[in-house]
Amino acid sequence: MSQYNIIIAGVGGQGLILTTKIICEAAMNGGYDVKSNDVVGLAQRGGRVWGSVKIGKKIHSPNIAVAGADILLGMELLEAFRWKSSLKDKGLAILNEYQIPPVPVIAELEKYPQNIVEEFKKNHHVIALDAIKKSNELGTDKVANILLIGILAKNTDIDKKNWIETIKDSVPEKFVDENLNAFDYGYNL
Amino acid sequence: MNKKEVLSGNAAIARGFYEAGGAVAASFPGSPTVEIMHTLNTEYPDIYSEFSVNEKVALEVGIGASFAGARTLVSMKHVGVNVCADPLMTFTQTRINGGFILVTGDDPGMLSSQNEQDNRFFGKFANMPILDPSDSQEAKDFVKTGLKLSEDYNAPVLMRITSRVCHSRSIVALSDRENHQISGFSKKLEDYGMIPPNTFQKQFDMQDRLVRLAEDANRMSINRLEEKETSDTLIVTSGLMYQNLKELNLDVSIYKLGMVYPLPVKTLKELSKKYKQIIVLEELMPFIENEMKIHGIGCIGKELFSFTGELGSEDIEDGLLKAGVIKDKSSESIEIVETVGRVPMFCAGCPHRPVFDILKKAKVSVIGDIGCYSMAVLPPLNILNSIISMGACISIMKGMSKANTIAGNKEPLVAVIGDGTFYHSGMPSLLNMLHQLDSSYNMTLIILDNGTTAMTGGQPNAGTGKYGSQYDMHVSIENIVKTMGFERLKVIDQFSYKEASKSINEELKHEGLSIVIATRPCALNFKIKETNFYVDPKICIGCRSCVKTNCPPIAMKAYKGIEKLKSSINPYMCVGCSVCAQVCPVNAIKRKKEGQNESV
Repeated sequence: MSQYNIIIAGVGGQGLILTTKIICEAAMNGGYDVKSNDVVGLAQRGGRVWGSVKIGKKIHSPNIAVAGADILLGMELLEAFRWKSSLKDKGLAILNEYQIPPVPVIAELEKYPQNIVEEFKKNHHVIALDAIKKSNELGTDKVANILLIGILAKNTDIDKKNWIETIKDSVPEKFVDENLNAFDYGYNL
Repeated sequence: MNKKEVLSGNAAIARGFYEAGGAVAASFPGSPTVEIMHTLNTEYPDIYSEFSVNEKVALEVGIGASFAGARTLVSMKHVGVNVCADPLMTFTQTRINGGFILVTGDDPGMLSSQNEQDNRFFGKFANMPILDPSDSQEAKDFVKTGLKLSEDYNAPVLMRITSRVCHSRSIVALSDRENHQISGFSKKLEDYGMIPPNTFQKQFDMQDRLVRLAEDANRMSINRLEEKETSDTLIVTSGLMYQNLKELNLDVSIYKLGMVYPLPVKTLKELSKKYKQIIVLEELMPFIENEMKIHGIGCIGKELFSFTGELGSEDIEDGLLKAGVIKDKSSESIEIVETVGRVPMFCAGCPHRPVFDILKKAKVSVIGDIGCYSMAVLPPLNILNSIISMGACISIMKGMSKANTIAGNKEPLVAVIGDGTFYHSGMPSLLNMLHQLDSSYNMTLIILDNGTTAMTGGQPNAGTGKYGSQYDMHVSIENIVKTMGFERLKVIDQFSYKEASKSINEELKHEGLSIVIATRPCALNFKIKETNFYVDPKICIGCRSCVKTNCPPIAMKAYKGIEKLKSSINPYMCVGCSVCAQVCPVNAIKRKKEGQNESV
């Protein structure tokens, strides 16, 4: 049974908690032990947020304590970059290229870092796209996270049906189709 | 039942209370435990649950339910226990009828708290047994264990859970709900009428239950020994620290405490004879370590591990390396990349934004309070000069005014408080303003009434009824203020920026106390999303008036064919509040028309 240490990074309000919840439930449905961390609280208001999901045969701590993430799911580009060193050499970086400028950038005190995707490419596998833009093209900008989960799902041994089952249970019924459509897009990328 | 679910620690606590036949639960919202009551509210209709007006009220609701024989849970963040300490310290003397568990969410590392207090000391102070779960399964199980201990040992039980365990998800095996009869209140004066001489015997009763608990702790299955034959070191630990230690997979014996107070002294004494050294691994203060030392059990702990912040597996390795238990570290710690920082900020459409923009332009320094508006202490606003505790700003303003007056200084003072905080404990502070009120001292109190307890995720409060009939309390702050007898009061709509600015600035100049109530609702909680705005870069003069309102979708941008940077609005994030358009001096910001493309 494989073990997956996943770091998820984003900006408060992007839906990180639901994303970790879906990954956890798909893992459990797939027969794995799983533990996750979410940073919840003050940072929810547009601050930097991150979480971890550990999937394997038996998981003790939810923390990914050493530079040992197999997969980094970056929901926002700068936040992904912040966690770059958490990723194993040759680990997989799934990068949403969508950018949310933080306060120092808005205030023009600092520049939004450039060439982040290229930095990752130096020693990691990279799948990068603007998930918000793509999701919007699929009909709504609300399914960007599910699209990213689709990419993640493809890179684990957890059966596709476990993901689909979990997504159906996690989103309101009238939005199931558009979510599964986005999942498929990511899965088949 | 043979069902499993992935649950957060908080959701598992709610589940445990349901399975234990719990009947009444109360809380005041606060991270990290807010989701316990939210889960009971939304998923377990068999249980009466409420978000009370404050923690003291929540605890007292719980006391009443327990008196009447119901299994009862009260939950709050760590600092909430300070608010309910008064009833707690006396309630703990009474006879327990329905099992009572108080869940406190401690916050090592202060992920979302104003201090890092270790509430295990509260448990000891109040003569309560203390449980400390390490994951969601234990969080659920310990609620059931705790309610039983409460009834068996005649003690309210403290469950101390840390923020990581509250929010961490893991797999939990579910059971059916037990049936627990509500016996009714016995009305025995000597057990519940807590004045002397009734309280004299109670001191002995509390002592006695702790002695019995300490004895029985040696046999409780929640305290367990995991021995490694080759180890000459025993690590005593509890909670998440156990899991973080297990992660290292070391050849070392572990004694895992499920109940951290009182300790199984007899067992630990015997073990201390067998092992060369005992190391106590715990976050925050040396609680277990001190208890062991009080009982003459030699150990080390805080000389190896930090007294503040969270302890991850890498910190545990550092400590064990120092103690000579391990020879090398397994690998390097994660270090986040040094890059541009990201502090939290008011949401797009937040009603606090125009108020703080106006105050910033007025160049005033503001006494703050607890809520989303606490973020005004952060850059780029940096406008709050102090934040202490729920409801404190009004009394702090009064105290400052009195001290300043004695010093011959009449510096104008401004304070801000939210509606949830006003109901929680701001009301007594405001009442106290009437006492020896100096009508010549310029003080301005701004009440930010966004209709919800927003920071913790938008729980309804005493005023939320104005936004929907599903909320049963519809208390008007304006009426409260008037009834108390304050005359200088203005009620404003801060999204009418110019009028709001005029009103606030008038009150800032007014000699004497004036109160302003800003009435726009929370955009996030009430899901307010109107047609978005966009910037016409041909009109924009690049003055940055809009950028300075510090709204997430607004930033300067390089447009094709335009030399200077001009403002821009991210259409996905804008909720159409119009504040930026109102502060724009040249009308470059316009609301998108139906069918028009996203930003120009």
